[in-house]
This record gives sequence, C-alpha cells and structure tokens, in this order.
Amino acid sequence: MSDGQQNKTFVVTRFDPDRDEVPRKQSYEVPVRSDWKVLDALNFIKDEIDATLSHRWSCRMAVCGSCGMMVNGEPRLTCKEALAQYGDTVEVAPLANFPVVRDLVVEADGFMEKLTSVKPWIIRAKERAVEEGTMRQSPAELEEFKQFSMCINCMLCYSACPVVANEPKFIGPAAIALGHRYSLDSRDEGAAERNAVFRGEGTVFSCSFANECSEVCPKNVDPAAAVNQAKLNAVIDWAAGFVLPRGGDE
Amino acid sequence: MKHLLLKLEPLIWLLFGQGILLGTVLLTPWVLVVGLAIPLGIVPADALSYERATALGSHIIGRVILLGLIALPLWKGAHHMRHTLIDFGGAERDAWVAPLLYLLAALGSLLAVVAVVRI
Amino acid sequence: MSRSAHPRAMAASKPGSTRTAPPQLPDRFPFGGRYLAYTLFDLTGILYLLLGLSVLCAVWSLGSGEAVWNGALERHRSIFYLGFHGIALAALIFVGIRFFAFFPKAQPPRVGRVKPPPKPVILAALYGLWIGVTACMTIVLAGGIF
Repeated sequence: MSDGQQNKTFVVTRFDPDRDEVPRKQSYEVPVRSDWKVLDALNFIKDEIDATLSHRWSCRMAVCGSCGMMVNGEPRLTCKEALAQYGDTVEVAPLANFPVVRDLVVEADGFMEKLTSVKPWIIRAKERAVEEGTMRQSPAELEEFKQFSMCINCMLCYSACPVVANEPKFIGPAAIALGHRYSLDSRDEGAAERNAVFRGEGTVFSCSFANECSEVCPKNVDPAAAVNQAKLNAVIDWAAGFVLPRGGDE
Repeated sequence: MKHLLLKLEPLIWLLFGQGILLGTVLLTPWVLVVGLAIPLGIVPADALSYERATALGSHIIGRVILLGLIALPLWKGAHHMRHTLIDFGGAERDAWVAPLLYLLAALGSLLAVVAVVRI
Repeated sequence: MSRSAHPRAMAASKPGSTRTAPPQLPDRFPFGGRYLAYTLFDLTGILYLLLGLSVLCAVWSLGSGEAVWNGALERHRSIFYLGFHGIALAALIFVGIRFFAFFPKAQPPRVGRVKPPPKPVILAALYGLWIGVTACMTIVLAGGIF
C-alpha cells in the first residue's frame, strides 16, 4: 500500500435524540494514512461513509478547544492525537461527564455557566479613567498567572475529573483556574469577590486532588495547581477575615 | 447544615491538610515502633513499659504529640472518607454523611484531650 | 464499560431544546489506569481513621493503669493488629510520597509579598521533616534516649 495506508476500525458512539433511546455504537472501516490524526478519520467517515455523523472541530491545530472527545477511554483533542499510536481498533465517544446532544457533541452550556460564575475579568475597586493611561505590568507579574491564562476551554479536564462526575455544583478545574488567573493578575482587585464564589456552593474544597485534570490538559495549564492554590488563598482570606474584618462581609 | 459546612470548610481543610502532613509524619514512627517493632520483638517490650510510657506520655511534649497522633489522622480520615463516598455516587447522601463523619472526628478529638490528660 | 455519572453532572441551569443522553463516567474510573492511585489515596482515609482510634485506645489504656496498658501491648502482638499496622505503614509511605509530590505546586506564586521557596527546597524540607521526626521519635519510643 502507498502512503503508509492501512485500515483501522473506528467504534464510534452514536446518539440521535429523535431516533435512539440510548446511545449505541457503530463501527466504521477507515483506510487511514500514517500521518493522520483521529480527527482526519472522523472527517473521512463524515465525508465518505456516513454524513449523519456529528462532531465538533475547527482549527485542526489544538488551539480552539472544539474537538475534545474520549479516544480509547481518555479525553483527548482529536486534532492532536496521531492515529499511529493506536492499534487496529479505535473507540471514539463523547466527552465523559457531559450530557450528550448528539453523537460526539456534548452540551457545553453548563461549562459556560461555570466559567462566568468566577467573574473572569479584571475587577477594579474604582475603574481607571482613560486619561490615566494604560496599566503597567512587569514580566515578573505576568509570569505569576501566565500559565493559567493558556486554557483553551476544551473541557477535557471536566471529563477527567471524578468530582465533576459526582458533584454537579462543583465549579470545576478550568473555571477555577481561570478565576485564579484573574486573582493573581496584578491589575486585578477582585480576589475577595472570587473567593466568595470559590467558597460558595461550587466550592473549590470539593476538589480531592485527583490531578487528572492536569494529566489530560493539552496546554499544560496545570489546573490542579490552580485549584489547590485557590484553596490556600481562600483559607488565608477566611483567616484574615477574623483579624481584619471587611465591611459588609459575613 | 449545608451552609454551616460551607462556612467551616476552610477550617476542616486545614485540619485535613495537617492530618496528612503532620499526621503522616507522626504516625510513621508510632506504627514502626508500637505497631510493629515492639510486637515483633525487634525492640524489647520494656522500651514502653508502663513506667516509661507514662513518663513519656505525661510530659507536656508527649501529651501534645499524642494529641496530634489521635486528632489529626481522625480529621484526615473523616474528610477523605467523605470524598470517597461522594466518588462512589454519594453526593445526595453527603448532607448527612459529612456531618456524621466530622462529628466522629470532633468527638475523637475531644476524647483525645481527655485521654492525654488522664495519663 | 460506561456507567452513568451524576444525572445532573455538567447540566446547564436551563434545559436545551433537544433531549440529551445522560452523562457517563470516565471509562477507567474508579479503579483503572491513573484513577487507581487516586482511589487508593482516598481509601487511606479509612486506615487513618482506624489508626487514630487505635492510638486513642492505646493512650486511654495508658491512663487506665498498668494492667490495662499491658493488655493493650499484648493486643498489639495479635496477627490482626500486626497485619493492620503493616498495611498502615505501606499506606503512610504511599500518602507521604503522593502528598509531598503535589505539595510544591499547591503553593501560590505569592502570598502578599512573600514568595514560596523553590520546589527542591520545599521537597527537601518536607522529606527532612518526615525522616527527622521519624528518626527522633523512633529512638525515643524504642528506648534509645529519655
């Protein structure tokens, strides 16, 4: 065979809410090229074999976060994972821990709500006037939060997290990492507001440090570090509240 | 109850964290000597004869260490057991499981105070 | 084999316009792959609870007189207690190593103006504490000093 082609079997989870009671599996034989990623095979299936297959994808270069799926039981970006690492049979399923809309497409609304809940924007006690010019930030100050700003919202960490699986209200790795990114930002003055969210119903203390989120993160954000740093910051904030009570705080 | 648990969480987490750190550090020599070396005869039993054990345990440092040896593992254990039960599908049960486990740890800690004072 | 996660896992506050299939647990949870170490770590909670209660019983015995204390020492010689403490020792080492490995990254980059020490220093301090306290307490308990 030329181009290093071989056949692989793809066992894909299918679900049509109008036709299927529960998700089912469907197998496809795909002539794959040696340099293909999982996403190439899925697109081949849709283009050449079964146009009814639904899946999300966009950039093909692991920056948009759209193509997250379970590949052989692990949450992966399908545009990033080379097929060569897998055997003759590859299982593709929708992301674990998410409600499934159709086939490989999961409902992301819950995730968007958790993201917004941590107030992921610069909070100032008093808004800076335009005339005052830009805020200045040193490279050292940037370094303190930069790692946590690299998240592409791919939701793989939510798929891997055993707490997300069992506690619906838990804010979750990416959202906590994002909130922590802003609390660490030298321009931000909203750490106290975010700590109130972190200690609310979606409490960061639900995290049991499985570290699975950081294991599966394709961008080395290390959300587990962010969540556990956020716990310590929340404790310091709580303890400081006894010594220096804030007006209006409980 | 849920609201109370949320308010107390930073304290419980601190106790849990120290339970892992200091609890592990203190328990290791206890298990090595009291749990294994003395029963197996590697260390002579009179190392912890009643007289010597009482002398060690009634010293202020001894009482503090014994207090830590009891209380800290209880809080670590209670918190981790709570999380294990949630991981095995117990999120709804948590409303009564969590207070029960933490009460057990609190009760054990109180008994620990009594126990070390009794020496 | 997939099993169901919590029925409301990652659910939005308002339902979508179409019926969704319920969320599924990650395939390997709780005993497969990396999850095994995590589940075992959580399960050490039971051992720590039992250890705490066991030390409580021992200290209570000490405060109850010589006969009761000697009885406690005798109980520790049973195969059940020996087995329990053998497993407990393994659990302590496992917990210590896993916890210490994660400890450095759980420190924020700055608390106020104070930065945490570099990772090798934190690890050296943690292991130094563990080994140092173990050595000192072992010597004291075994009758080496005092």
